[in-house]
Amino acid sequence: MMTDAATLAPVQPRRRALALSGWDTGVGHALMILVSLVCVFPIYWMIVTSLRPENAIFSTRLWPDAASLDNYAYALRAVPMQRMLVNTFIVSAAVTAVQLLSGILAGYAFARWRFRGSAILFGAVALTWLVPLQVVMIPNYLLVARLGMIDTLGALILPHIASAFAIMLLAQSMRSFPTEVVEAARMDGGNHWQILWQVIVPNLRGTLASLAILIFITTWNEYFWPLLLTRSPENSVVQIGLQMFISSEGTQWGPLMAASTMASLPILLIYLVLQRQVISSFMKSGLR
Amino acid sequence: MSYVSIRDLRKSYGDVQTLHGLNLGFEEGEFVVIVGPSGCGKSTLLRMIAGLEDITSGEIGIGGQVVNDVEPANRGCAMVFQNYALYPHMTVAGNIGYPLKLARVPRAEREQRVREAAEILGLTDYLDRRPKQLSGGQRQRVAMGRAIVRQPRLFLFDEPLSNLDAKMRVQMRIEIRRLHRRLSATSVLVTHDQVEAMTMADRLVVMNGGRIEQIGSPSEVYARPASAFVAGFLGAPAMNLLPATVDREGILRADMCPDRMLAGDLKLPSGTELTLGVRPEDFTVAPAGRGGLPAQVDLIEDLGGMRVAHCQLPGGYASAVLPRESAVREGTHVSLIPDVARLHAFDRVSGQRLAEVAVAGADAGRAESDARSEAFAPA
Repeated sequence: MMTDAATLAPVQPRRRALALSGWDTGVGHALMILVSLVCVFPIYWMIVTSLRPENAIFSTRLWPDAASLDNYAYALRAVPMQRMLVNTFIVSAAVTAVQLLSGILAGYAFARWRFRGSAILFGAVALTWLVPLQVVMIPNYLLVARLGMIDTLGALILPHIASAFAIMLLAQSMRSFPTEVVEAARMDGGNHWQILWQVIVPNLRGTLASLAILIFITTWNEYFWPLLLTRSPENSVVQIGLQMFISSEGTQWGPLMAASTMASLPILLIYLVLQRQVISSFMKSGLR
Repeated sequence: MSYVSIRDLRKSYGDVQTLHGLNLGFEEGEFVVIVGPSGCGKSTLLRMIAGLEDITSGEIGIGGQVVNDVEPANRGCAMVFQNYALYPHMTVAGNIGYPLKLARVPRAEREQRVREAAEILGLTDYLDRRPKQLSGGQRQRVAMGRAIVRQPRLFLFDEPLSNLDAKMRVQMRIEIRRLHRRLSATSVLVTHDQVEAMTMADRLVVMNGGRIEQIGSPSEVYARPASAFVAGFLGAPAMNLLPATVDREGILRADMCPDRMLAGDLKLPSGTELTLGVRPEDFTVAPAGRGGLPAQVDLIEDLGGMRVAHCQLPGGYASAVLPRESAVREGTHVSLIPDVARLHAFDRVSGQRLAEVAVAGADAGRAESDARSEAFAPA
C-alpha cells in the first residue's frame, strides 16, 4: 500500500498542471479564433456584398439569398478594371524590382565599403524614412510635371525607385552576413560585383522575398500619389478605379464591393501562397 | 632569399599598435606554424600576408615580389578559414570550383580539377551535397579543396582545426601534414594550440603582444626557450617557473626555500635574481627529505600515458611527471629534485633567457643522483 501511495503521490500535481495547461491553451485558441474572425469578417462581408443584388445590398443576412455576378459585370463595364489591374501590376512589379535593385546596391555599399562620411550618409538615408509623403508630394509632383510625365505609369514608378526602408533592411542583412565568406570570395578572385551577386544575394533570398512582398503590397495599395498623377482611367491604377464608384450622388455599394474584391484578389493570392514570407516580412518591417 | 619575407611590419588600429615591427621569412616548401595566445597578433599577421588586412608600415614579399598593394587573389596564396567560410548555397563541387569559375577556367578543365581535388581529400562521394549536409571535418576538407584547386604556392591556414572535436582535430592535423608533403607548397598555419604547433611545424614562430618571441624548430624551441613566456607557453604540462637567486657562493637557491641548494658551479654571477624554469618531466619525485624542493602532492592527473603530480610548495605550486609505477599518492610529502643539466634561467625583469645554468659535478648533481636511486618504490 505504501508503495502505491508513494507511486501515486507525484502524479496528481502533474495532472493538475496538464489540465491547467489545456485550459490555457483552450482560452488562447478561443481568443485567437475571435481575433481572426474580427479580421476576416470585413473581407467576407465585402465578397458577400459584391454578390448581392442591389435591392438587398444592405441585408444583414450572412449569405445572399440569390447570389449573382451582376455587380462584377457592371464594375468591369463601368470602369476599365482589367486595364487598371494590369497597370497596377506593372507599377507594383516595377517598383518592387527597382527598389530591390537600389536597396541591394546601396545596402552593399553601406555594409561593405568604408568611405568618408558613410555613417552620416546612412543616417541621412534613414532620416528620409521618417519624412511623410505629404512633405515630398509637391516637389515630386513639380519634378514629374517638368519631365512631362503626368498621367503616365512611369510617373507612378519614378519617385519610388529607392526606399530608405529597403536600403536599411538590406544593409543590416549584409552586415550580419559572415565576413569570412566574403573574404573567402575575395581570396578566390571575386570582385565586388561578383561577390554581391554570386555570393551574398543568393544567400539573402529569404530577406529579399519578404521585402519584395512588402514592397509589392504597399505599392498595390497606394492611393494618394496615383490620385495626384493620373488623369485618364486608362493610365490609372485599381485603387483610383474603386473611387470612381463613390460620387456625390451616392455610393454604388455592389459594384464597389465587386471591384474591391477584384482589387484584393492578387494580394489575397500572394498571401495564401507565401503566407510565411508575408508574416515574416511584416515582422521584419517592425513599425510599418 | 625567403619565399615569404616580412620586413619591419607594423599594424595599428588608431593609437593602438598590434604588430611592432616584425621581421621574418618563410622558406619555399616549409611548414611554418605561428603560435601564441589570443590577441598576440598572429591572425592579423596572417591576414596581412593574405592581403585581407591593410599594412600600416613595412613590407611583405611573396616569391620575390613586394605585395603590399596587390589584391588578395593575385598574391598566389590560398587561405583556409577558421569557420571554413564555405558558400552555403553552393554544392561541394561548386565551392571547390568557384575560384576556377572566377578565373574563367573552361568548364571541362574545371570539372577535371575539382574531381582531382576531391579525390585527394576523399570528397568524391559528397560533390553534390551542400555544406550544411556535411560534418565539420568534411567541411574543413572542402575548404582545403577550394584552396588546393587554385594550385597556389602559399597556403595560409587560420586556426583551421579549432572548430573540430578532439579526435577529428588529430586526424585533420595528420591530413594537413600529408597534404603539405604531397603538394610541397609553403604553408603557414596560425594556432593558439601548442600541441598543434609542436606536431605540425617544420618551424615555429612564437608570438606574444605583437612581437616575435622566438623562431625555431619545435625541438629547439622546446629545449631552449628564448624567454620565460615561450617556456611557459609551450609544453604540456607547462614548465614550472620559480623565482630563484644565485647566492654569494654561486649556489642556486629557490626563493621559496632558500635553505635548499638546487645547483652549484654556475656560469651566472653571484647575486643574480632570476626565474628558474624546470619542465615537469625534469623533476624527480623522491621521498621527503632527500634534497631539492620540499612539497606535498596536492593532486594527481592520470593522462593514461603519464601521470602528473601537482604539488604544493612552501610558496607556490609546481608540477612533476611521475613514473607510471610510482607509489606516490595525493597528500604524500615528497622532494622535487630538478635535473640540473636541464634547468632554464630567465631574467626576472625582461623574461629573456640567461646564459646556461650549466653545472658540472656539483653537489646538487650528486644529491640528485642519490635521490633518483632512492625514488619511490613501485606501488
